[in-house]
Amino acid sequence: MTNHWNDFKNADVILVMGGNPAENHPVAMKWIMRAREKGAKLIVVDPRFTRTASKADIYAPLRSGTDIAFLGGMIRYILDNKLYFRDYVTNYTNATYLVNPDFKGPGELEGLFSGYDDATRKYDKKTWSFQMDEAGLPKKDPKLRDTNSVFQLMKRHYSRYTLERVSSITGTPKEKLEEVYKTFASTGAPGRAGTELYAMGWTQHTVGTQNIRAMSIIQLLLGNMGIAGGGINALRGESNVQGSTDHGLLFHLLPGYLPMPTASVTDLKAYIEKYTPKTKDPKSVNWWGNRGKYITSYMKAIYGDSATKDNDFAYAWLPKPDEGMNASWLMLFDKMSKGGFEGFFAWGQNPACSGANAGKVRKGLSTLRWMVNVNLFDNETGSFWRGPGMNPADVKTEVFMLPAAASVEKEGSITNSARLAQWRYKAAEPVGQARPDSEIMDELHSRVMALYRKDGGKFPAPITKLTWNYRRDDGKPGVDIHKVAKEINGYYLADVFDTKATPPKQLGKKGELCAAFPHLQADGTTSCGNWIYCQSYTQKEGKVINMMARRNAADPTGLGLHSGWAWCWPVNRRILYNRASVDPNGKPWDEKRKVIAWNATKIPPGADKPGAWEGDVPDGPAPPLADEKAGKYPFIMRADGMGAIFGPGLADGPFPEHYEPLESPLAENPMGGRQRMNPAAKMFYKEGGVGTDDIFANADPKFPLVATTYRVSEHWQTGVLTRHLPWQMEMMPQQFIEISRELAREKHIQSGDRVNVYSARGKVWAVAMVTERLKPFNIKGATVHQIGLPWCYGWQSPDDGSGGDSTNLLTPTIGDANTLIPETKAFMANIEKA
Amino acid sequence: MADQKNARVIRKANAFEILNHWVMAISFFTLSATGFAYLFHIAGVVSFFGGPMGMKTVHNYAGLVFAASLILTIFSYLIEALSFSGDDMKWLMKGGGYLSRNAAVPPQGKLNAGQKLVYLMVLAAGAAIAVSGLYLWLAPEVKSRTLSMHFLHNAAFDVYLMIVPFHIYLASIASPGSLRIMINGTVPLEWARKRHAKWAARMT
Amino acid sequence: MGRKSLLVSPELCIGCRGCQTACKEWNQLPGSKTENRGSFENPPELTATTFNRVRYVEVASSSGDPRWLFVSQRCMHCGDAACMNICPSTGAINRTADGAITVDKTKCIECKLCASACPFGTPKFDAQNKLSKCGMCADRTASGLPPACAKTCPTGALRYGEREELIALAKKAGYAKIYGENDLGGLGTLYAFRDEPKLYGMDEKPAMPESLIFWQNVLKPLSYLGLGGALALSLVHLVAVGPKKDEPKNDEPKKDEEVNKNG
Ligand code: HEM
Ligand code: SF4
Ligand code: SF4
Ligand code: SF4
Repeated sequence: MTNHWNDFKNADVILVMGGNPAENHPVAMKWIMRAREKGAKLIVVDPRFTRTASKADIYAPLRSGTDIAFLGGMIRYILDNKLYFRDYVTNYTNATYLVNPDFKGPGELEGLFSGYDDATRKYDKKTWSFQMDEAGLPKKDPKLRDTNSVFQLMKRHYSRYTLERVSSITGTPKEKLEEVYKTFASTGAPGRAGTELYAMGWTQHTVGTQNIRAMSIIQLLLGNMGIAGGGINALRGESNVQGSTDHGLLFHLLPGYLPMPTASVTDLKAYIEKYTPKTKDPKSVNWWGNRGKYITSYMKAIYGDSATKDNDFAYAWLPKPDEGMNASWLMLFDKMSKGGFEGFFAWGQNPACSGANAGKVRKGLSTLRWMVNVNLFDNETGSFWRGPGMNPADVKTEVFMLPAAASVEKEGSITNSARLAQWRYKAAEPVGQARPDSEIMDELHSRVMALYRKDGGKFPAPITKLTWNYRRDDGKPGVDIHKVAKEINGYYLADVFDTKATPPKQLGKKGELCAAFPHLQADGTTSCGNWIYCQSYTQKEGKVINMMARRNAADPTGLGLHSGWAWCWPVNRRILYNRASVDPNGKPWDEKRKVIAWNATKIPPGADKPGAWEGDVPDGPAPPLADEKAGKYPFIMRADGMGAIFGPGLADGPFPEHYEPLESPLAENPMGGRQRMNPAAKMFYKEGGVGTDDIFANADPKFPLVATTYRVSEHWQTGVLTRHLPWQMEMMPQQFIEISRELAREKHIQSGDRVNVYSARGKVWAVAMVTERLKPFNIKGATVHQIGLPWCYGWQSPDDGSGGDSTNLLTPTIGDANTLIPETKAFMANIEKA
Repeated sequence: MADQKNARVIRKANAFEILNHWVMAISFFTLSATGFAYLFHIAGVVSFFGGPMGMKTVHNYAGLVFAASLILTIFSYLIEALSFSGDDMKWLMKGGGYLSRNAAVPPQGKLNAGQKLVYLMVLAAGAAIAVSGLYLWLAPEVKSRTLSMHFLHNAAFDVYLMIVPFHIYLASIASPGSLRIMINGTVPLEWARKRHAKWAARMT
Repeated sequence: MGRKSLLVSPELCIGCRGCQTACKEWNQLPGSKTENRGSFENPPELTATTFNRVRYVEVASSSGDPRWLFVSQRCMHCGDAACMNICPSTGAINRTADGAITVDKTKCIECKLCASACPFGTPKFDAQNKLSKCGMCADRTASGLPPACAKTCPTGALRYGEREELIALAKKAGYAKIYGENDLGGLGTLYAFRDEPKLYGMDEKPAMPESLIFWQNVLKPLSYLGLGGALALSLVHLVAVGPKKDEPKNDEPKKDEEVNKNG
């Protein structure tokens, strides 16, 4: 999230698209309702009329997987009607930049951007570049007229997204489109704020990243980034998903979004060289320029005294995937299904139900020699060997169950979508033999260490040299989680000075906790387990303060920043990119909703010159952009400091383009051209091949229904936690499928009937919920039906099988071109009365 | 003529009838007391009868006893109560002679017209209260009917409350000599000749 | 302190059913085995173990979008509570100082009269046949906590507080009809509706059953009035007319001699 939950109340227009907060983030609705009480408009765009839609001022249906068409139409509408926030666009985005004249878009190249290679399904991005001047800075046209300017290119690209065309792709009636566009675009006026909330409805598509990119373009055009009541807000699917991602959950990232080094990057210098973006623009903060400090401090955190300048801070001990190796979910399970793994830790997850194409996943599990299932309950994964279609006698996998403590049975921090790390306390003792994850890991570590001590090993240092001193000091068994939190925050390992100041100013005392990441050093004098969390557990005048445990609810600005409540990264900044909420002179665009403001006369504590920011923690203390000498651009995490309307960093194009999902009712892309689906998405299976688990069926009369999956308020993810709760089961006892009255009539199905649902990959049963809330779409003149099923059920519990089984048995093996997040939100299916 | 020392009496109620009457009276008072406790939430009565559930048991089983007792009265009184004659009408016209000290009334049978009427009312109200009571006890689930049964139970109760005090008064203080019927079952012949001339005539 | 109430605002309700779970948790009520009947709504009605539930009302419209209304249902805590009026058992149904209608199961005599009297079909009976219904979390409100359902509600669709303040709040927010403001002596569970209550599946004019009113106003008083009247009339007669004077005087027979010829 760029903003935060409470901030929704500041919006004038709230667009919920790709999410369903009423059902999956009910507390978010508190703030949405607050906004509505003050007159804000809520727009909900969703294939289904959801519980969120029931609260909408405008509801617009769309066919699953057509969000870019919908948003592309909005971009066109904003540009055609000149509704963008011109000052913002010209000052704070790369709209003025001139692009390489050789760049070509899908309108000119049969649906592809320039540089595509069919064989590798990859783009050569040479032409997706900016024209540079002699100083090495991008050439600009502040008037936005140059035909090669990002602005004009964008205009050309989205001129193809006419209302008629968008409507025929999405199935959204034209009037609805216009109503939504008009309402949301109204936030382009300074003094108006529009926000967007999304979740898995946007990410779980072959074009997931581009869905969000499309919205980013809109938000930049309307000047909605960085302001209160604005932003693009990812509603995370679990309470601590943000935290786990921050701390390096993904295969290609170390904690704090530091890239995972690959095999070819052999030393720290090369690493820093490769991953530190550069700019020649003095006005760009280019925060990632500090990469060297963060990686070095990280190495000091994990290897302590063993990481020295002489051994390159133990860089050699970091694991390094081979070049081009992708270890994301789909790839891992693909490899597993081919017998590529011996063992597997299923830690706090239930892939046998949550994994796209779960049938393939379940088969994959049976190739393992052993599996450790760490969870609160047994689940479909731990019991896969006795699941439907399995013959226990044939399965050789040895399964170990390690019961884990629930989140309320242990102390620690949880970071919510708003980047807010809140400290929580233990409310109850773990049940039975259950133990906190940290203790399970601690024991694993000590046993592995014992094995190394006993048997030695080929390359023991990466394991044996790890700093691992998390045990409690009082001699009682268990981990002191505060020690972990402190290691994440980091320490001064020596007295650290600001050498730029004269005389050098002391920043920190040896042995104390670091104050904040600007103090981190690249010379090994600081440690920090995760630089973005530096300041979360800190020390003031010698006193140790757990910032995450703060509980001051004061809200002096009235904007709901609550800066004294817990702690949020980075450096307690509640609204990211807040330097974009002010004009180049530091005056808020919106006087009613001041996030920060430049006070030119105030002398900040410890400084000698006047000039200070007031309000939220600004994106850097530098004076506003207009300051000739020291002014800085607002988007400090980008090398050029600008909001990216043209985004050459992605695999599948610098502008989002509509591509059909892997499976859709259409044989061709209605945008024209030869490219039906995302050209850069990795294919696990070629159309027309013979049956494998990855089979798919596009525009196939056998599977005429557009299907999507979702969650419900009553269940949590695959339901491992909630299916054991009679209260939740009572409310939502069984797998159901929502279908329109029209489809029900066609198929002779009544509400409450049991139906079988098929896709090219599998079959599940479900209880039919015939409803007004789904309506057939008119797609390119033909009637297309949409269906929807939740994915919270599984065969293992309730153990009489009355719940049904996972709808991921239906979903395909394919992922987003950039992230490989599986496309479970749009696929084709058929139904039949059971 | 009997000896002066031995009063000439005539039997008006046999042992069974006396017993049944007292069974009825006691069950009635129990039911009324608990009934009142129900209506007006009289905590003292509730605890006297052993708390809410105890009182319910008492009330319901006392109700059964009352109903049985009521049925048994049929054998004793129904035929008599249904035999209305012209004298009965006249008796009623004269208010049973209760309106003045010296009123003369037409001769009456074993039951006078007033008693006949009281008995019929007791029987009718009793049937209503018993049927409704049993219904409330055994089948309260059928909601719409429950309400009417509740209504009936109470209406009948009201009827009882209006008749029974008169019955008791008239059978005791207002009509000296009556009370002994419910004690030893007999009345002096003289008394009978005055009050139930026809019956007395029949009997002697 | 005046009467307290719960204000239900379906317009703010997102149907998340946090209230349903919170109620069960606080009151330690088990979940029952249900099945999906083609609707989100479950259990199908209030039960002895379900004190509140959300009704999902789908309203079709020929032209525009459907409407989906969520109505949180529980005991109405009537100002003039039929259940309490009819209940024969002393102390089984009580009204707290805040105006909540609570149940003392130990006093319930399982007669189920309350169920037939309640205009809303609220009373349900547990396995022991004891009345089991929402008591407005009196055990929480007594110590200043809001009811569990209201505490959990994320959007403010369930608000607990001073009745007058809640009504004023709803009126200020422009709700056309405050359901329960005056009906049945004012309901303790108020609803802020913008449309006709019928649309939300509510009885337009909830009322006490007529026979109950008659019973309450006539039969019940008549029981003591009638009794008193009968006793009074007897007394009047005793004084004004006096007992019949036909007793043989000074005639104390030693032994009765029956002269009956036949019965
Ligand atoms: C067969 C005979 C009777 C039965 C089975 C019976 C049963 C009942 C029942 C089931 C109730 C509801 C409370 C409870 O569950 O206990 C009740 C209430 C009551 N009964 Fe009876 N009853 C009978 C006869 C009588 C009689 C003879 C009287 C009085 C003369 C009486 C007076 C009342 C009163 C006043 C109430 C309270 C009514 C109310 O609160 O609605 N009952 N009875
Ligand atoms: S709704 Fe029914 S149970 Fe609740 S107080 Fe009113 S009458 Fe009693
Ligand atoms: S069932 Fe219980 S609470 Fe209901 S009226 Fe009877 S005694 Fe009262
Ligand atoms: S007030 Fe308490 S008992 Fe009543 S519905 Fe709410 S949570 Fe349940």
